[in-house]
Amino acid sequence: MVFILGVNFPERNLLKKSLESFFGIGGHTSSRLLARFNIHPTCRVGELANKQVLDLTAVLSDMKIENDLRREVLNDIKRLKETGTYRGRRHALGLPVRGQHTRTQIKTAVKLNRMERRL
Amino acid sequence: MFPTRSLLGRSVWKGPNIVPLPLPRKLPPPPNTPPIRTQKRAATILPNFVGLRFAVHNGKTYQEIQITEEMVGRKLGEYVATRKRFTYKQSKNK
Repeated sequence: MVFILGVNFPERNLLKKSLESFFGIGGHTSSRLLARFNIHPTCRVGELANKQVLDLTAVLSDMKIENDLRREVLNDIKRLKETGTYRGRRHALGLPVRGQHTRTQIKTAVKLNRMERRL
Repeated sequence: MFPTRSLLGRSVWKGPNIVPLPLPRKLPPPPNTPPIRTQKRAATILPNFVGLRFAVHNGKTYQEIQITEEMVGRKLGEYVATRKRFTYKQSKNK
């Protein structure tokens, strides 16, 4: 088990996939991170040197990920609502925000768009 | 990471949609000046609009909005709804 940013990852997991399990890090960012520390893309978590783990943790703690990012997104939605924009209103109603048709096929918006959006 | 993404909404070379509006000469405008009536919903809210009152057309009537600092960079029409909420009206004759 290896600790990266306070989360425990099993050693056999791919490092790239482990990084992507953080909210706010996708395929692009994770491959950029690997390239930055000269780690090959199929590296497992167990193969990391101790220094590389520390480097990764240091960089990740500077980035806006996980709860900071969630809070930012929620605050953006809240700000839209409070200033009374059309987009804020659509979020509150649980309807598509970007001008999609609403006659059919708005399940995703109904499920996700709300003031306290689940992220 | 994507510095251009915020600019992708509208072509950069066009710049903001600046519409000639009858803005007051004197700032801040004296109290009980009438709001600026306009149908230009697509006009970008510029920093010098802050504190002014606009009466923006919603397709039928003019609705008043007060411009605050957070609204800068958005459009006038974003703050005035054009659609009425559906309400069921009981019909007498069937």
